[in-house]
Amino acid sequence: MIIKLFKLIFILFFINFSIFSAFAENKKVEEISKNLRCLICQGQSVYDSNSEFALSVKILISEKLISGSTESEIYDFLKSKYGDWIVYEPEFNKSTLLLWILPLFLFIFGGLLIVRKVIINRSIK
Amino acid sequence: MLNLIGNYSLVLALTISIIIIFLSFKTFKSKENITFNIFFIISSQFFLICISFLTLLLAFVYSDFSNLAVYFNSHSSKPLFYKISGTWGNHEGSLLLWLLVLSLFNLIFYIKSKKLLNAFRSLTIFFQQIIILGFLLFIFFTSNPFQLVIPTPIEGLGLNPILQDPALAIHPPILYLGYVGSSIIFSSSLSALVCNYVNKEWASDIKKWTLISWIFLTVGIMLGSIWAYYELGWGGFWFWDPVENVSLMPWLCLTALLHCTSVLKKRLNLKSWTIILAISTFILSMSGTFLVRSGILNSVHTFANDPERGLFILIFLTFLILISLIIYFKHNNFNQENKSFIFSKESAIVINNWFMMYFLSVVLIGTVYPIFLEAITNEKISVGPPYFNQLIIPFLIPFLIIMALGPKLEWIKNKKVRVKLTKIILFVLSIFISYLIVRHFSTKVLYLTILISPSLYLFFISVIDLNDEKLKLSQKLSHFGFSILIVSIILNSLFSEEVSVNLKKGEERQLSNYLLKFKNITKTEIDNFTSLKAEIHVIQNNKELKFYPELRLYKVPETITSEADIKTNLFNDNLVVVNYLKDTDYLNIRYQKKPFMLLIWISAILLAIGGMIGLRKDFK
Repeated sequence: MIIKLFKLIFILFFINFSIFSAFAENKKVEEISKNLRCLICQGQSVYDSNSEFALSVKILISEKLISGSTESEIYDFLKSKYGDWIVYEPEFNKSTLLLWILPLFLFIFGGLLIVRKVIINRSIK
Repeated sequence: MLNLIGNYSLVLALTISIIIIFLSFKTFKSKENITFNIFFIISSQFFLICISFLTLLLAFVYSDFSNLAVYFNSHSSKPLFYKISGTWGNHEGSLLLWLLVLSLFNLIFYIKSKKLLNAFRSLTIFFQQIIILGFLLFIFFTSNPFQLVIPTPIEGLGLNPILQDPALAIHPPILYLGYVGSSIIFSSSLSALVCNYVNKEWASDIKKWTLISWIFLTVGIMLGSIWAYYELGWGGFWFWDPVENVSLMPWLCLTALLHCTSVLKKRLNLKSWTIILAISTFILSMSGTFLVRSGILNSVHTFANDPERGLFILIFLTFLILISLIIYFKHNNFNQENKSFIFSKESAIVINNWFMMYFLSVVLIGTVYPIFLEAITNEKISVGPPYFNQLIIPFLIPFLIIMALGPKLEWIKNKKVRVKLTKIILFVLSIFISYLIVRHFSTKVLYLTILISPSLYLFFISVIDLNDEKLKLSQKLSHFGFSILIVSIILNSLFSEEVSVNLKKGEERQLSNYLLKFKNITKTEIDNFTSLKAEIHVIQNNKELKFYPELRLYKVPETITSEADIKTNLFNDNLVVVNYLKDTDYLNIRYQKKPFMLLIWISAILLAIGGMIGLRKDFK
């Protein structure tokens, strides 16, 4: 009797747990696929698309997650297969250095221009 | 017959354009008064371009397939409304519309500028005509809308169904009015430079044109977003898609210019900066056209491209940039500016411009960087929403606070700055409310509080400012609209929920809190497409909502579009989109809950209304 009860609890717990992990996993798939470009669509993310390509990528992501891959491993795998083009968030590396730095540099430059103007204005007085 | 009339009117308009360039330059040199003749010539040019546009319109309405543009972009089974909008739904027609608006604005400028300096007027018309001539040549040699097809085909190829939509039918003309309005700003600032006419009078004239373009651009961008929201079928309204960015760039520039002109008007400062902004706005609008038309961009809008035409626009663009650079450096000899005060409205506007230029540079670099990287190193990267969010959002925080405090500052002020108690109380209050809003986010409470508080602060301050008699109504309303826009966008992106599932007819599935039921699907034949309407019930907390999303199967050309069913109220949008899964009986059903969507549109309209009030006041 007690063993049966334990079994029941165990099963219930297991079901609950698997539902929960499936839910979390779905969230993860959603998060990753939103950051991926659907390569055969026009301006759609993998998450938003229902093309065969997008569906297969989504299945691939969830399989990878189940087999224990981390998020960055999945990104790396997809990048090696399809190129950097597939990821919406550009990596920070040698060729994207200017992409990330230039706007900030311009901001500082603009700030300096304004400060210079203020100083000049002061000296007129 | 129609084709011939259209074509010959264009040829005549081209000849007239050369005549006007000649005449206006002559009057500029001789400093004579502009004569009645020029008015006659300008209006007849506008008339001819009108005729040309109307003939194309008629060709579309009567499905005259002997015209190449009509053959490629229309179909006799299309509803009349979309036949008409088809006129500018293609490359050739849209350029003709550009041209029409260019010459219309040229005419309006001539009529409305009678009080201004004569040399300035004729030179502005001269520059404006150079732009018109450029477009006429472009249309004539690379994209003539009146090419013949021999023998005449019986049926056309149809308009991309995704474009057959009321919002999108009026979106291009409105956007073009905004783009083209900036052409007058461009011509007028070049001419003001040459004539040494950068003064208060000029500032108030240019402000009108800036407002006109800004209003149309605001409404145009909003219409495009609304369309993307319900038509593209994934429930977002801004994707940081290159073509969207291209319309946002002139908008940012115009917004900066709008604020800058009031400094020029009131204090006669920032002269050369105003000129730089005025020139860049038009250059950005032109580059936008270039990027969209040349097919360099990969985006949702790729239906509108052709690589060869890009070259012409590129040459024309380089030419315009060169002219403006030469004129700018030759005539940029402004004498000493007035003294400015640190805690003044002027400083607030300078800081506004500083941030605007930063946002502009992020959008510009994010849009063109991948193009250059690919051209130089053959490396293909995507620059998507994460990039823009990371670089823009942190800078919004100081920007919003300054925007809240700026308008109250005086133009000239002594150094004492009094901090009012109400402002501090409001600031603390906004932090507290933000904390209440975000506290159930376990991980990002601090970050979100810091993000939401300044936007709420701006909102509170602008609500209070609405009662302030000293501020201009246009400014109050626009800032109020902008604060709602920012608050709703942030809350929308935080609290949107969605579930997605594949179901067959009759099936149902429980997903987190929602029970989705696929009840029924009905098929009806409408005009030029077959409609599949699904009945989807969504149950949450015993509340049942019924949705009727639709799939449209178009025959010419063969395309499926998906129409979302959206239930809107002031604080929440509920929508269901269905998508067809190839070779199965299943439909992909996506239910989304999007808070504050309606407020986003309302706030954009408020922005535009604020602009209109400002415009009315300026015209008085």
